[in-house]
Amino acid sequence: MPSGKAKSPRSGRRDPKVVIYPAWCKKCGNCVAFCPVQALEEDEWGFPRLARPEECTSCRLCEKLCPDFAITVGEAPVIKGRSAEEPAPRATGDRSTVDRRHSPERVPPVLEHHRDEEESDREET
Amino acid sequence: MTGSNRTIVYEWLRHDKKFPHVWCPGCGLGILLGSLVRALSSSGLDKNRVVLVSGIGCSGRLPVYVDTASVHTTHGRALTFALGIKLSKPDLVVIVVMGDGDATAIGGNHLIHAARRNLDLTALIVNNQTYGMTGGQFSPTTPFGSKASTAVFGHIENSFDISALSETAGAAFVARSTVYHVNQMDNLILQAIRKKGFSVLEVLSPCHTNFGRHNRLGSQVDMMKMYKKQGVPVKRWEQMSEKERLDRIPLGVLTDRDMPTYLDSYAEVCRLAAGMREEGKI
Repeated sequence: MPSGKAKSPRSGRRDPKVVIYPAWCKKCGNCVAFCPVQALEEDEWGFPRLARPEECTSCRLCEKLCPDFAITVGEAPVIKGRSAEEPAPRATGDRSTVDRRHSPERVPPVLEHHRDEEESDREET
Repeated sequence: MTGSNRTIVYEWLRHDKKFPHVWCPGCGLGILLGSLVRALSSSGLDKNRVVLVSGIGCSGRLPVYVDTASVHTTHGRALTFALGIKLSKPDLVVIVVMGDGDATAIGGNHLIHAARRNLDLTALIVNNQTYGMTGGQFSPTTPFGSKASTAVFGHIENSFDISALSETAGAAFVARSTVYHVNQMDNLILQAIRKKGFSVLEVLSPCHTNFGRHNRLGSQVDMMKMYKKQGVPVKRWEQMSEKERLDRIPLGVLTDRDMPTYLDSYAEVCRLAAGMREEGKI
């Protein structure tokens, strides 16, 4: 995923950060089908992937057409003092235990985590 | 400008509900849920002032996921429960989410009478043209000639036009949108919430699992592309000839009129009665 600093050659805007949350994705294909610039594509499992980040204009249509809130356009929030390995806080009876910035079911570092695993696999082979 | 999905999910969805939700992959109800939550978030309303009421059906599951006060009522009676809530606590914002069977078949009478009374409610009617949850039987909005599990040779009844029905019955605000036109839907929900009086928003939503399968309309992507092709803005619709209007759907605000609401008239009656009592006439 590109850093948030570079500018897109097409739109002049900051590079988008399309975060896909696979645990909520039902692979319906709305985001891939209706992306106006075809920046998204399906990967081998049917999940969407930001294949051409330089094309993305951050129009947020994929975010709005996703019925499952599984895609987010924008900067991922940095959660201080929390690593990717640590499990997300669970909702219990007392709401105050849930981090306000964080839904219990959503873990933004999932993709990062996946990528780390892939890289380590590659190094081994 | 509303917040991103992330902000909305944290703030407005219930943390103790299991996600992903129960609807089929690609169901328009999920898009409507997002749209409703975005509209609520940008309206600046306090969560504690909003009540979501729903009946039975796929759409009945929608208020369960939103972190406001919510009532899941019996089939077709969502509007009557909402009416009671609004009459007892007039400062609450009451939004009713119904399906087409819920609103026009089982609760058809309630819809026209709620529109006639013009109480300050917002009715979101999700029109998927079939009874999706029970297996694709025909509903009052199933178009003539289309197939359903109880009409295998084609449906032989004419369909209701929900927008025209509620407009004639006296609703103050009537609009129509589809889940493909999601930005328009955001704005229309916001307008419907802010409108004083009974406001109806008909949302066309694909049911590719049942309606689409029986009529060979393809996946929800194909059905949403169909909506894209069929939908025309109301202004263009008015200039079109009868021939061009075939297979086209006008989208946008169909009626927007200012009328005294039930609560205004009721307050006036209370004031008159109190005055007469003071004078000793009653």
